[in-house]
Amino acid sequence: MGRWPEKLQEVIDDFSEALDQMERYEMLFELAEDIDELDHSEWTNKTRVVGCQSEAHIDIAFGGDGFHLRGSSDSQIIQGLMAVTAIALEGLTPEEVTGFSPNFASEMKVLETLTPNRANGFLNMFLRIQDEAREQLG
Amino acid sequence: MDLQSDMNKVRLEFPILERILPNGKPLIYLDNAATSQKPISVINAITDYYTNYNSNVHRAVHTLAGEATEAFELARKSVANWFGLPSGGMVLFTSGTTDALNLCALGWGKHNLKPGDAIVLTEMEHHSNIVPWQMLAKEYDLELRWVNVDSETYQLDMDDYKSKIIGAKLACIIHTSNVLGTRNPVERLVEIAHEVGAKVVLDCAQAAAHEKLDMKSLNADFLAVTSHKMCGPTGIGALLIASGIFEQMQPVQGGGDMITEVFKEYSIYQENEHKFEAGTPRIAEAIGWSAAISWMEGIDLIAAHKHTLSIARNASDGLKEISGIKVYGDHSNEDISGVVSFLHESLHAEDIAHMLDSMGIAVRTGHHCAQPLMRRLGISATNRASFYFYNTMDESKAFVNAVKTIVERFG
Repeated sequence: MGRWPEKLQEVIDDFSEALDQMERYEMLFELAEDIDELDHSEWTNKTRVVGCQSEAHIDIAFGGDGFHLRGSSDSQIIQGLMAVTAIALEGLTPEEVTGFSPNFASEMKVLETLTPNRANGFLNMFLRIQDEAREQLG
Repeated sequence: MDLQSDMNKVRLEFPILERILPNGKPLIYLDNAATSQKPISVINAITDYYTNYNSNVHRAVHTLAGEATEAFELARKSVANWFGLPSGGMVLFTSGTTDALNLCALGWGKHNLKPGDAIVLTEMEHHSNIVPWQMLAKEYDLELRWVNVDSETYQLDMDDYKSKIIGAKLACIIHTSNVLGTRNPVERLVEIAHEVGAKVVLDCAQAAAHEKLDMKSLNADFLAVTSHKMCGPTGIGALLIASGIFEQMQPVQGGGDMITEVFKEYSIYQENEHKFEAGTPRIAEAIGWSAAISWMEGIDLIAAHKHTLSIARNASDGLKEISGIKVYGDHSNEDISGVVSFLHESLHAEDIAHMLDSMGIAVRTGHHCAQPLMRRLGISATNRASFYFYNTMDESKAFVNAVKTIVERFG
């Protein structure tokens, strides 16, 4: 058993077992399909993730069931990374989200193959989620 | 020996092209419009300088300084000869094309253009030939006029140019587009500008890699060039100025090497190229560039470009057959570089580039510092595969097959 939440660990294990990078991209494309998609009509400056070369937008909420992310991007790789983030944090409390490490992306062996801009874009997205979680804590 | 065999022989002189990437794939380098690879003779020339005669140039009297100065100034002569500098012209070393265009704007434009004067730019320009002029226009109240690009033919609208140039003082024109590969009819564009008394600066960053430029026959007033796209090192380029321009320019930077005497109240500047080259110059880079020119002198550039064009054309034709791909640029045209820009209707350009990279293929993605052109084409980015004479037809085919595989698997 890994140190990550069960569902995320399953994703990490799947990625670790991938034959090559192309298979990892294929998995990201599949995950991108499953995201709770933020419709393009809902894209605003507020939803935009800065630092991405591609258009990337997220909307997060902490309801009765904890953290939930809706997101979309014109890049399927980025949308796939959003989907993994959603799996990682789904249902967590704001406190748990602020303490969550973004290192799961490295363990999936996808981050190092991205351009620095894209890797930074992912980290920007993650930090922004944690900022919003901190705001929830007050 | 056929053209491909000749080019295969040339390819052997570029050690990096034998590189195996960390994922075990052999490198297929198709990002030559960003920077070319370097032949071993260029690498050796730079190593030789640092190993045997590294020294600052011009002022010291010791042996190393003498050798370095000689090699540095020889490099200037070699650049002048290669680019056919006209009599009375000068080679001002810069850090590259961008720096050369900024020097042109600040060293010449600032002192020769007055409020209300017009500068003609084309929609095909690289940002390096836009932003310095915008900055100047903002500060000195100059008018910027834009020449349209035809988004179907990928050519400049000549009628629009002829109309916009009337009354203008300067035309800033990209010789060969870094996005479309289009080689503009620069000889005619310069002629038209001169007929109405406008000066012309040509951005030759891409062109210098593919053809032997001759400033005399181009007849431009300024040529901005760079070393690193024509097999030389990064960090050096030049602004070539025609006869009579030097006297109209003022230095942009002050400091060592550009003065003859400094007093508390004022300084007296050098009256040669050094006036525009404050500080320790780019010595190793100049020597490397000179070695690149010597190397280029040994190859048949016309045959080399013919080869580049044939493999670029193969890629363009192959891409057009893949569902959902659009190619930007007319590769049936003879006047085109090795650039092949393309876009898939649904796959993001950067996703395609990442996948190509995982297959060992290096291409570029983005707006290529040509956002006005992107807007004219109605897009925000492209993938760009740019071929050079050391690339092979097999690489071109492998590239097309790779894109086909990606589109079939992910599109």
